[in-house]
Amino acid sequence: MKIRVLLSILLCLFIFIGCSSNKSELTTNLDQVQIERVNDPFEPVNRAIFSFNNVFDRAVLRPISIFYRSIVPEFIRNRITYSLSNLSMPITAVNNLLQGELRKAGVSTSRFLINSTIGLLGFFDPASSLGLESENEDFGQTLSVWGVPSGPYVVLPFLGPSNPRDFTGLLSTSLLDPMYQVGGGSTTDNLRYYRMGTGAVDFRSQNLEIFDDLQNNSIDYYAAVRSFYSQSRESQAANNMEESSFEDENDIFDDFDLDDSYVGPDIEILYD
Amino acid sequence: MTKLIKIKIFSVITFFIIINNVFASSFSAEKDFVSNFADSAINILSDNEILEGEKNSKFTDLVMSAIDLNLISKFVLSKTWKNATDDQKERYIQAFKDYFINSYANKLDQYSGEQVEVVDAEEAGKYVIVNSFIYREGTDTLKINLKWRLLNRDNEIKIIDLNIEGISLIIAQREEFQSFLANNEGDLEKLIEKIVSVSN
Repeated sequence: MKIRVLLSILLCLFIFIGCSSNKSELTTNLDQVQIERVNDPFEPVNRAIFSFNNVFDRAVLRPISIFYRSIVPEFIRNRITYSLSNLSMPITAVNNLLQGELRKAGVSTSRFLINSTIGLLGFFDPASSLGLESENEDFGQTLSVWGVPSGPYVVLPFLGPSNPRDFTGLLSTSLLDPMYQVGGGSTTDNLRYYRMGTGAVDFRSQNLEIFDDLQNNSIDYYAAVRSFYSQSRESQAANNMEESSFEDENDIFDDFDLDDSYVGPDIEILYD
Repeated sequence: MTKLIKIKIFSVITFFIIINNVFASSFSAEKDFVSNFADSAINILSDNEILEGEKNSKFTDLVMSAIDLNLISKFVLSKTWKNATDDQKERYIQAFKDYFINSYANKLDQYSGEQVEVVDAEEAGKYVIVNSFIYREGTDTLKINLKWRLLNRDNEIKIIDLNIEGISLIIAQREEFQSFLANNEGDLEKLIEKIVSVSN
């Protein structure tokens, strides 16, 4: 189904851009109708920061990303995506260790060493071809493995969707980052700035149409982003705990009554 | 005695082979359904001979034949569905259908060679989940995990939900609708109005 549009949802994995459409229509009135499963007590404040982030995105990040994509060829952009992924490997390796995943820590370390050398500074990914595949881990995920609950949903200025656990993880990740610990010299600093700055542009440019589509097609964009973020983090946490990430989801679907109480009229489909 | 043991071992092995085959072949109908659907979709999307409008209508026909839109419509509306009048239900379903079709219309030309590979299938309550990967062209090692939630009723298989890297589209849609309703006194009329305005 609408593959490209669906791919779009990927963006939510690392969402840090907030947007809000038609905020004026949304007066917060949470008491009136109970929302299921949503932990968002600061919704009014969150919505305000979300709109601010949206303005920042429209004014700064989106234009830069459009420019970046128009002048840099796709091949180079893919290399940059790989190099960014490579630079985050040391963080992943440290978190693998903290989660007690020695084997995964070995894989992440090997990936970093192989791709940084044979992979020409991480611009290519020979490690994956050798069967060394790993998923990015951050300290927020480590905290969830340690049993720390996520806490309520919050939207951070510039950084976007988060929660107390992930925000703590974000702060700690800088301290745990081997590049921060080891060098401290200008080279490692520059690499970290590269990772942060280029990372934002790289991510944004990969998802230009996707963000636009999502925003234009949303009934309540704030709620859509909140759902994507929460679901994504829950599923990552479940993967780390080696639980079925589908448990909650299955419950929701199983509670749903499949009867055909209303099958609707046979509606003519209109195309234009 | 040794012969007996041999027979025992043989029967145990046979048993496991049979069990294995039973499991390997289980949900093959569902897996085939997803493969066929993905192939048909990619065929339409990668066909550059046909006009945009024709592509759209072909794709919509395919999607509408493969999903259970009535069930999805009801699911995303959740509790509000129960209190709606028949007239509201009818208008809501029509609005949701237009909204759904509109969400991908005019974007089909953005397809750039993604491929779907079906991995395996598992049971999940009333449903069957088919696991697959999407590969993006040019980044062969960056793959996207896509899970299809299917409902098989009397051998008629329908797609109920897609889960991309842990994100269920239908649950996200439902939370969006619930949030809108929560911020609009639970008024279904306002939601229908909003859905119609977004699709136009």
